[in-house]
Amino acid sequence: MRLELKKTFLSKRGWWIYFLALGPVAITVLHWLVEARLGRGAGNRHSIGEDSIIFAGMFLFYYLRAGIFFGAMGIFSNLFRAEMLEKTLHYYFLTPLRRELLVAGKYLAGLIVAVVLFGSSVVLAFLTIGRHFGASWTDYLLHGPGLHQLGAYFLVTVLACVGYGAVFLLSGLLFKNPMIPAAVVWVWENLNPFLPSLLKKISVIFYLKSLCPVEVPIPPPFNVMVVDADPTPFWVATPGLLAISLILLVYAAATARTTEISYSD
Amino acid sequence: MAVYKKTYRPYEGALTGPLARLWVIPRYAFEDLHRSRFLNTFFIASYIYPLICALIIYVQHNASALGLLGVRGADRLIAINVVFFMSLLGWQSMLALFLASFIGPGLVSPDLANNALSLYLARPFSRVEYVLGKMSVLLILMSLMTWVPGMLLFLLQGYLEGWSWMPDHARFAAGIFFGAWVWILILALLALALSAWVKWKPAAGGLMFGVFFVAAGFGAVVNGVERTSWGHLFNISYLVGSVWLRLFEGAEHSTNGAVFFRVPEGEELPLWCCWLALAALCGVCLYMLARKIRGAEVVR
Repeated sequence: MRLELKKTFLSKRGWWIYFLALGPVAITVLHWLVEARLGRGAGNRHSIGEDSIIFAGMFLFYYLRAGIFFGAMGIFSNLFRAEMLEKTLHYYFLTPLRRELLVAGKYLAGLIVAVVLFGSSVVLAFLTIGRHFGASWTDYLLHGPGLHQLGAYFLVTVLACVGYGAVFLLSGLLFKNPMIPAAVVWVWENLNPFLPSLLKKISVIFYLKSLCPVEVPIPPPFNVMVVDADPTPFWVATPGLLAISLILLVYAAATARTTEISYSD
Repeated sequence: MAVYKKTYRPYEGALTGPLARLWVIPRYAFEDLHRSRFLNTFFIASYIYPLICALIIYVQHNASALGLLGVRGADRLIAINVVFFMSLLGWQSMLALFLASFIGPGLVSPDLANNALSLYLARPFSRVEYVLGKMSVLLILMSLMTWVPGMLLFLLQGYLEGWSWMPDHARFAAGIFFGAWVWILILALLALALSAWVKWKPAAGGLMFGVFFVAAGFGAVVNGVERTSWGHLFNISYLVGSVWLRLFEGAEHSTNGAVFFRVPEGEELPLWCCWLALAALCGVCLYMLARKIRGAEVVR
């Protein structure tokens, strides 16, 4: 775990993941500074509610569909694939360590990195997007729905890292080119709003969206193509996602148990 | 001859011409690509849309065909206008992105990963020629997918409509040709730069999509949070769409761009900003290439 954390956190290959995670924070900090400067003279140009919807849109369309998805792809599919590229996987395989533990250790290390990066990014972006409202933003956080929303967004981020992490860890183990399954998953996840309600349920984003605290209105002309489906209750969505991730991890562990490595292939 | 006399002696025979040397890289690359069944199928399938367009043009100018189909007023149903040609270019350009992300990563990265670059550059072959040779593979294939069918359709329409149609609509031809080249050059430079920096081919291909889609998402976040439209500067398809609009329609435009390359109404940016952003992207790609394409690498 220690080794993996060090490798994954300070990976030269993963510089772009930091960009993915920190980009929105930079934008919300800029928003805070600009609005605070403008607000001193003319008052705020928008309301807390508008910022809350903007954050919900950013969370759904950037974090879930792009940032966390591609970030998890970068972190988790590299856990085994990078070792194969650097021809170091056999060192792990030769150590007196059960393969299942190796998979679990690598997954946990990846999960910690993903949650730290994207979880902190979501929390910081949420806290700074409305900071320019001053005391009323603090009031919204402490006495209004703010803290509940923040908790929900953080939980969804963790679940997204858990779900996508398991998918990409398995694809990194099974496929020589994990980008092909990743592309298929990405297209499927992005088509989700337009799928019939039965097919909607065979995706990660559907359950994550059900847990989001603020609903995002879909702009025209796409709104006419959206198929409505009842959101999944919390007690189904959360354990459901965790159970699916566990199944994928168990399968990954079973695959790793029989894996043989030949770098010449 | 004594062994000690067998020292280095430069080649003294006749050299092939510079153009013939430049053609060596694409020749071998095309041989490799030709073996890929997936690529061949994809390339042939990419002509379905232009074929449908050709059929539409033909049917519109053939009264007996219209009569046979029992269609009245079909010429008004699908008009052969700016939208028709821009849609063709937009669709074919999106297919070119798929092609570039499939072929591009395999062009430079194997040479770098296996330290084979010095074998190229030890011959009478410069870095620029190497890059041009590799790039020509993408340029030729993407040209065959974008502006070549576009120009053929333009000629077909001109032939069937009457030759006077062509000078009246010369802007369409210019838009197809120059618009496609803008897109092709950006894709080729980006594919080669990513291929040079990311040695793992699948990751380079994925990153190519990432640059387009994540950057567009990032731009949308900037627009949403800052209540501005300057975030579109991160959106490559928006930038190219703006350039296409100007090329096809001039300053006054009646549409909002091609399919996949839309410019939302009321969110237009000054054209020079779009050109500047595209030039900056090309500059970054060229810098990345210049850093990596070297005969010898200094390891500190």
